[in-house]
Amino acid sequence: MSEFRPEPSIEPENAPEFEERLLLLEREDWEINQAVLQPMLKSGWVFWVVVILLGALVLWGLYAWGYLVYWGIGVSGKNRPVYWTLFITTFVFWIGISHAGTMISAVLRLLKADWRRPITRGAEAMTAFALMMAGLYPLIHLGRVWKFYWMIPYPNNRFMWPNFQSPLMWDLVAIFTYLIGSGLYLFLALIPDMAMARDHTEGWRYRLYRTLALGWRGTEAEWHKLHRALAIFSVAIIPIFLSVHSIVSWDFAVTIQPRWHSTIFAPYFVVGAIYSGLAALATILVIVRSGMKLQEFLRAEHFNALGKLVMVAGMAWTYFWFAGFITEWYGNEPVVRELIHEEVAGKLAPLFYLQMTANLLPIGLLVFKKVRTTPALLLVTTLLVNVGMFTERVLIVIGNLERNHLPFNWGTYRPTWVELSIVGMTFAGFALLYMLFSRIVPYVPVWEIKEGRLRYTLRRIGRLLIPTAAEIE
Amino acid sequence: MNNTITLLALFEKSTQTAEAIDDLYNLGIPDENMTVITGVPYPERSLGRHREWLTLPYIVMGGAVGGLLFGLFLSVITPHLYRLDVGGHPPVGFPPAAVITFVFTMLAIIVSTFLGVLWEMDFPRFGTAPYHRLVTDGRLAVLVECLPDLEQKVRQVVNSHQASYVGEPERLVL
Repeated sequence: MSEFRPEPSIEPENAPEFEERLLLLEREDWEINQAVLQPMLKSGWVFWVVVILLGALVLWGLYAWGYLVYWGIGVSGKNRPVYWTLFITTFVFWIGISHAGTMISAVLRLLKADWRRPITRGAEAMTAFALMMAGLYPLIHLGRVWKFYWMIPYPNNRFMWPNFQSPLMWDLVAIFTYLIGSGLYLFLALIPDMAMARDHTEGWRYRLYRTLALGWRGTEAEWHKLHRALAIFSVAIIPIFLSVHSIVSWDFAVTIQPRWHSTIFAPYFVVGAIYSGLAALATILVIVRSGMKLQEFLRAEHFNALGKLVMVAGMAWTYFWFAGFITEWYGNEPVVRELIHEEVAGKLAPLFYLQMTANLLPIGLLVFKKVRTTPALLLVTTLLVNVGMFTERVLIVIGNLERNHLPFNWGTYRPTWVELSIVGMTFAGFALLYMLFSRIVPYVPVWEIKEGRLRYTLRRIGRLLIPTAAEIE
Repeated sequence: MNNTITLLALFEKSTQTAEAIDDLYNLGIPDENMTVITGVPYPERSLGRHREWLTLPYIVMGGAVGGLLFGLFLSVITPHLYRLDVGGHPPVGFPPAAVITFVFTMLAIIVSTFLGVLWEMDFPRFGTAPYHRLVTDGRLAVLVECLPDLEQKVRQVVNSHQASYVGEPERLVL
């Protein structure tokens, strides 16, 4: 009978290597500051070439938007019955992307999940920039963008007042609230790192960081108040992020359009948003890690945890998708049958199978730890998720509008160059803002990393050294 | 306290800092005359300090009530002022009113938390203040306000706990 001997995870002689893994225990504070600041201060030519290319795409998109404003919404492919097109599709996509920031930052902060620390700022920035891009689409979709202020409730000589029973008004207030909330949340957690950057820079950067640090010194009272405020933010922003995508889903669900009029739409949209948002975050982190040489901060353990979250979100998305699909299929209503046939065996079939493959295959791939912890594999897998999620939104918004209860009113849609250019503009704009952000603001939340180091110690239990975290927050 | 002087002591370790603070208490320096500045949020009371009472939760609650009332005003009162009958619905329906009221309540909570914490921290504060740049590189600073005749004793106490620097603090532009 062989003696039972548990596999030692950390032998004492391996402790230094493990300490290195435990949130940089061996690093001095000034080393961490420099490791975060240096990539911000030095940008190679590749960075600037990409910035110029993205800037050119944004300018082209702005030209296309100007063209649309000048000639009218008719230059888009919008028609009857496809009255919501690529603009609303991409709007839903960006709202979805914006969800992971809050998910990672607020939920994991409340759960005191330590692996969140190096990735929270990147996630929060993603939320803010994705929301900015999403917020453009209702304006673009209006066509007559200069009439936007009619939606703002103020007494006016037109004697007109916004209709708060309209889901479009709910959209306006929900997106505005989420944008304000995520922006303030991002900024609040940034203040101590602005002070750190202020203490280590000069010139325009010093002036910028000094202004944004608001006079922060790091007194006990300041830390205590910041912690309390972040805790309140974390609790308050979770229902906001749930409500935003629910409200976006109600834009669809409160109509009588076949396949939209569904009670499951709100949770289905929320879960889909979390799936695509988490996948987008993983994609971005892999790129930033390589571009800014942040391998010391964004490590395999972070990608492993994030990959597991993406996988779980993917399973939840599959469940909600199937729950909706089986109900519609079983009902066998003529127009729904026609829509499902179009999707599964008609002209939308290539998109449908692309969507299913790109959304389901990553779930299977992410089961393997090697995929979750190898940046290149994770990049491909999570990009695939967002190809699938974008296609899903195309099918929901455009595919479902092509058929309705009145067969004489059926139609098709093709995007025009104007729409494609404007959609390209928001993708380029997002990437551009994110790249500039990563060079102006400490991408890794330094104070949170240092706080994480305070939490950890190695405790000897029998022959093993076990990492333990103290309850200090 | 009139005619006081301010000293700044820098420490490398939190244990030394906590012990120095204990000895400064024993010397008769009251809590309100000591300020600990760190680049990392140390756990509450780990440095032997009192727990500060915050009004922030009350500010947030006030904001929430304000947001709730404003949301109700927009979704319940104003539709009667600008009546618009759509889709056979009553001018004010519970579901849309609930959505609008909820969102404005949450918006007010977020904004009042942000403004409340800035107000509590007295931010923005762009003047000069006693500070040391090594704080963000990991040093712990203790600012002590005391009468001139205690200066030597204060210096002895902090030096006995391996303070790496003791002296008058530089007032830096923050």
